[in-house]
Amino acid sequence: MEMALTNKKNFNEGGYSAPEEKYKIRKRKASPGDIAFHICNGIFMILFVVITLYPVLNTLAISLNDGTDALRGGIYLIPRKFSLKNYATVLQKDNLMIGAVVTVARTLIGTALALITNAILAFIVSRKNFIFAKQLSLFWVITMYVNGGMIPIFLLYKGLGLTNSFAVYVIPGMVSAFNMLVIRTYMRGIPDSLEESAQLDGAGYTTIFLHIISPLCKPVYATVALFVAVGQWNSWFDAMLYNRMSDNLTTLQYELMKLLSSVTNQSSSVEAMKNSSGSVTPMSVRAAATIITMLPIICIYPFLQQYFVSGLTLGGVKE
Amino acid sequence: MEQKKRLFKNISLVEFKRQRVLIIWSVFFVAYGLVFCYAPLVGWLMAFQNYKPKDGILHSAFIGMTKFKMLFSDATFIRVIRNTLAMGVINLVATFVMAILFAILLNEIRLKGSKKVIQTISYLPHFLSWIIVTGILHDALSGSGIVNELLTKFHLVSQPINFFAHEEYFWPIVAFANVWKETGWNAIIYLAAITAIDPSLYEAAAIDGAGRWNKIKYVTLPGIKPTIIILLIMNIGNVLNAGFEIQYLLGNGLVQQVSQTIDIYVLKWGISQMDYSLGTAAGIFKSAVSIVLILICNTIAKRHGEERLF
Amino acid sequence: MKKKVVSVILATCMLGTVLAGCGKSSGGDSTGSTDSAASGSEESGSSDGSVKEFTAFFAVPGSEINDDNEIQQILAEKTGVKVKETWLTGQTAEEAIGTLIAGGEYPDFVDAGDGSVQMYEAGALVALDDYLDKYPNIKEFFTDQEWDSLRQSDGKIYWIPQFSNIYGEERECTHNDEAFWIQARVLEWAGYPEVKTMDQYFDLIESYYAANPTMEDGTAIIPYTILCDDWRYFCLENAPQFLDGYPNDGSVIVDPNTKKIIDYNTTDTAVKYFKKLNEEYKKGIVDPESFTQTYDEYIAKLSTGRVLGMIDQWWDFSNQTEDAIKSAGLDAQGCQYIPLPITIDESVKNQWHNSGGIVHVSSGLAITTSCKDVEGALQFVNDLLDQENHNLRFWGVEGTDYNVGDDGMFGRTPEMRKIVADTAYKASHLCTYSYFPQWTGTSRDGKNAMKPEGQEAEFYDGLSDSVRKCFEAYGAKTYVEMLGTSPAPGAWYPMYTFSQTMTTSTPGGTAWNLMGECKHQYLPKVVMAEDFDAGWAEYMEAYNACKPEDFLSEMQTELDRRIAEAAKYSN
Repeated sequence: MEMALTNKKNFNEGGYSAPEEKYKIRKRKASPGDIAFHICNGIFMILFVVITLYPVLNTLAISLNDGTDALRGGIYLIPRKFSLKNYATVLQKDNLMIGAVVTVARTLIGTALALITNAILAFIVSRKNFIFAKQLSLFWVITMYVNGGMIPIFLLYKGLGLTNSFAVYVIPGMVSAFNMLVIRTYMRGIPDSLEESAQLDGAGYTTIFLHIISPLCKPVYATVALFVAVGQWNSWFDAMLYNRMSDNLTTLQYELMKLLSSVTNQSSSVEAMKNSSGSVTPMSVRAAATIITMLPIICIYPFLQQYFVSGLTLGGVKE
Repeated sequence: MEQKKRLFKNISLVEFKRQRVLIIWSVFFVAYGLVFCYAPLVGWLMAFQNYKPKDGILHSAFIGMTKFKMLFSDATFIRVIRNTLAMGVINLVATFVMAILFAILLNEIRLKGSKKVIQTISYLPHFLSWIIVTGILHDALSGSGIVNELLTKFHLVSQPINFFAHEEYFWPIVAFANVWKETGWNAIIYLAAITAIDPSLYEAAAIDGAGRWNKIKYVTLPGIKPTIIILLIMNIGNVLNAGFEIQYLLGNGLVQQVSQTIDIYVLKWGISQMDYSLGTAAGIFKSAVSIVLILICNTIAKRHGEERLF
Repeated sequence: MKKKVVSVILATCMLGTVLAGCGKSSGGDSTGSTDSAASGSEESGSSDGSVKEFTAFFAVPGSEINDDNEIQQILAEKTGVKVKETWLTGQTAEEAIGTLIAGGEYPDFVDAGDGSVQMYEAGALVALDDYLDKYPNIKEFFTDQEWDSLRQSDGKIYWIPQFSNIYGEERECTHNDEAFWIQARVLEWAGYPEVKTMDQYFDLIESYYAANPTMEDGTAIIPYTILCDDWRYFCLENAPQFLDGYPNDGSVIVDPNTKKIIDYNTTDTAVKYFKKLNEEYKKGIVDPESFTQTYDEYIAKLSTGRVLGMIDQWWDFSNQTEDAIKSAGLDAQGCQYIPLPITIDESVKNQWHNSGGIVHVSSGLAITTSCKDVEGALQFVNDLLDQENHNLRFWGVEGTDYNVGDDGMFGRTPEMRKIVADTAYKASHLCTYSYFPQWTGTSRDGKNAMKPEGQEAEFYDGLSDSVRKCFEAYGAKTYVEMLGTSPAPGAWYPMYTFSQTMTTSTPGGTAWNLMGECKHQYLPKVVMAEDFDAGWAEYMEAYNACKPEDFLSEMQTELDRRIAEAAKYSN
C-alpha cells in the first residue's frame, strides 16, 4: 500500500507507514502546551462562528419580519413582527418554477462538463513528460487576466448561435484556468511512481487518468465541483444578457433579481408612487430571496463535505 | 513549428506516440481557448478608437493612444490606481492569511461533528450579497452600533467614532468586510489540500515529540505549501481587481479620495459618459499589470524551486 | 483498447459540442430571430387569429408583471395587442444600450433613456413624422411646439416622452417634489405658527428639541438630518435655488428677467444656507451621521419617527416611511411630514411647487427598425390613450379595483386601497404599461382624475388625523396648498433636462461632472468645519478649479436656444 501525498518532500521525509497506525495519535496523552492550544483554538472558533453566523441569522430574522416594520431597523436575531409575506411574495413570482428547473439543469450539466474538462486539462498539463505542458499552462494562465469586454463577447456568442440557447450557460465558462490550476496542483502532489509503475504495466494516459489519478483526486474534484456548482447556481447575468427574451431559459436568480428590481421600483419610482407600497420592501424581499437560494446549498454541502473534512478518504493503490 | 521540431528530437518516437492522446486533447483545449478567451480580445481595438455604437468595432475611427494618454494625465486616475492597489494588497494579505489560518486551526478541531458544523457556518456569508453585508456593517459601526457601544462601555473612547467619515478607517473596513464574507469560502481549497497529507507524517512527528505547533509548522504547512503558492501567485495577479461594489456601497463623499477604485472610475468617467473606449483602455492596463506581476512572481517561485503557474 | 475508445468518444463529444455551437451560427440567425424580440410582431399574432405580440425594452429598472396578468389580458382583447415588457436589471442603461446596438436586433418598442441619441444615431429607430397624423390620440398628446422640441438633428421625431402630460385641469394633491419637511407634531406643539424662512424653521426645530429631547418611548430625537448618499445628495446641495425663490431648474438658476444663467452654488444665499447648517451642526441639531448614512439608514431613521425635519423630494422618502410610520402607530403622535414654504427671506416668494407638466425631451417611447408592424404598434399606443383603456391601466377594473359613485366619481374602499398596493396583486392583476404614454390631470369625463393619486376625495380619505388637523390649521386641503402653486416657469424650464444629457465629450460636461465630485466631497466638510469661512474658502478654491464657467456658458447657450425656439410660437 502506498499513500498519495501533496508534496514529495513529505513523502521522502515521512517514509511509508500503514494507515492503521494513525489512530495511535489519539491514545497519546496531551501535553500542557497542547491543552492551551486547544483552548485558544476553541475560543477562536467560537468567536469566528458567532461573527460569521450573525449576518446569516440577521438576514433570516429580517426575512421573517414584516417588511414595513423592518424599515425601522433594530432587528437583530429575532423577528419583531413575524410575517411570511416576504416568502409568499418571492414564491408567487411568475416563472419562478421555470427558473428553478433551468437553474438545476445548468448546475448539474454545467458542473459535470466543467469538472470533466478541467480535470482532463489539469491532467494533461500536470504530466511531467508532456512536451507542451508548459506552453499549454501559460496559454490558460493568461486567460485569467485578459478580458475582451462585454460587447465583443456578446457579438461572439451571437455569432456562434449561443444567444437564446441553453448552451450559453454551460459552454463558455466550461474551462476555467483557476479551477484547472487547483486540480493541477493537487495532481502534481501525487507521486510520479504511481504513473511510472502503471506505465510499466502497459497503461496508456487514458487509463492512468481514469483509474489511477482520478480516484486519488476526489477531494479536489469535490472542491472544484462545489465552486462551479455555486457559480452556476448563483448566476443570472448571462440569462439577462443573452437570453433576455426567452422566458423558458430564465434562471432562478434572474427571476429573483427582477422581482427585487420590481419591488424597489414600486417603493421609490416617480411613476409608481403615491399609493402605499404594501408590506414588503426591497430589504425584506432581498432577505427572503437570499435565504431561499442558500437553502439548497446548505442541504447539499454535507454530501460534498465528506470528501474534504475527514482526511481519510484517499484510497490506496496497488503496487 | 520551429519549436515542435526541436522537441521532436528531444523525445523518442515511442514517447511521442504515447502522448498522442494528450496532444489531441491539447488541440481541443487550445481551440476552445482561442474561441472563447482570445477571440473576444479583438475588442481591445476599442481602446485605440473613439468607439461609437453606431459604427461598431469595424468602423469606429482610430485615435491611437489618446485614451491612454487621457487616463494617465488625469490625477484622479492615478489616485484610483493607488486606491485600488492599496485595497488589493491589504485585502489579499488579510483574506489570504485568514483563510489559511482558519483552515489549519479548523483541522486541529478534534470533535468531528463540531468541525463539520463550523465549516458549514464559516462559508455561509459567501452567499450574502454585498448589499446585505455592507448594510449590517453600517449598522454595527454606526454611532449607536455595537462597536461604538463596546468602545464607550470600556471607556476606550469618550465620543462614538463616526467610522465612515474618516479616510484612515476606510481601507481596513473594506479588508474586514472581505475577510468576514470570504474566509470560510477561501479556506475550502486549503481544507481539501490538507486531506491529502499523509496521516503517518503526523504520527512520525508525534514520535519525535512534536506538539501541536510543531506539527502545524513541520507537517501541515509544508503539506499545503504548493496550494498556497499557486493561489498566492494567482491572487497577486488580481490585485488590481479590488472590486467595485463594496467600495461603492461603503463609500461616501467624505472618503471618496480613498474609496474610489479603477472600476468605479471607469463606470463614472467611461460608461456613464457613453465612452466605451475608456473602460477598454483601463482594462488593458489592468491586464498588462497583472501579467507582469505573475511573470515576476512565477520567476521568483521558479528560482526557489517552488510550485509555479507555468 | 477500451481506454482508447473511451478517450476518443470523449474527445469527439467535446469537439462535437464546439462544432455544434459553430454550426448553429449559420442557421442561428433564423432561429435566433424567431425566438427573439424582433419578429414577435409578425406571425404569432396572426397565427392564433387574435392577439399580436410585441416586445419592449426599457432602459430603466421597472416592475415586471406576470405573463397571465388579468388587465393585460383585457387590454389585449380590446386592442388585439399584448406587449411583453422587459426592464433594466443589474446593468447601467449605457451598457444595455451599447450591447443592444452592437447586436443589431431590437425589441419592437424601446425607451433607451440616456442612450436614446445613440439609438437614433445607430439608425435603430423609426421616424414617426409620417405616422402621427393617422393616430388622433397620439397627435393630441403634444402641442405642435412640443412635438417640434422632440426633433433630432435630421429634423424628425423619433420618440414620445410618456410622463407629466396634463389633460384638462391639473389635479395634484401631493407635492411630489422637494421641500423643507417638518413633522406635524412640531407644528402642533408650537400652535401652528407661520414658518416662512430658514431661520424660523431652524428656530422652531431647536425650541421643540429643547423641550422634547426624546420620543415617548425614550428614543433620542434627531432634530435635522441630511441625506447625502450618492446621487441623492440633492437633499444637501440644491436648496439655495429654492431659498432664493426660483423653481427647480436643477442644475442652475435662470433669471426670468435678464434670461441669464446664475450659478446657485456661489450665491450669497448659498453661503448663508451652508453657514446656517454649519452653525446647527455645531449646536448638535444636524445629525452627525448625515454625511455617512446610507439611504436605507436614512429611511430607517425617518420610519422610527425620530427625525423632526429634513429637505427631500417627497417621492424619495414618502412611500416607504409613510407606511412604516402608520404601521407603527406613530401617525397618532404626529410623526408624518408636512412641507413648508421656506425661503431665505420673507420678502422672497417661494416656488417649491409649480404647475404645468414637463416634457422630458431627452428620451421617450420609440419604435425600432426591428419592428415588423409599425402601424400596429402605433395603433396600440393610440388605443392605450383611449379613456376607457387609460382607466383600466391606472384605475383598474370597475367594481374590483374602484367603485363609481352616483355622481360618477371614482373611489376606492380601504380594502381596495390595501390590495392595489400589494406587490403580488400588482404583478398578477394590474397592468399600467407604465412606460407607455399616459396622461395626468382630469379625465375626459371632466370629473375624475386621470390617475387615482389626483383624485382629491381619495387623497383626503387616505390622510391620517394629525395631518388633516394640521392642514386645517393652515387652511389647506392638500400638500400642494401648504406651499401654494406658482405658475409654470418660462419655456426653457427645466434646465436639468439638458444638464442630464451632458457628457465628458464637451468641456461643459466635464466641468459638470467635476463640480459634482467636488461638491460631494467639500459640502459635507463645509458643514462640519470648525471654521466655516476657512472651510468655505477651501471649497471655493476647489470648486473654481473645476471650471464651472465652461458649464455655465454651455447652459447659457442652451437657454438662449430654448428661448429662441419658443419665440417662434409666440405669435
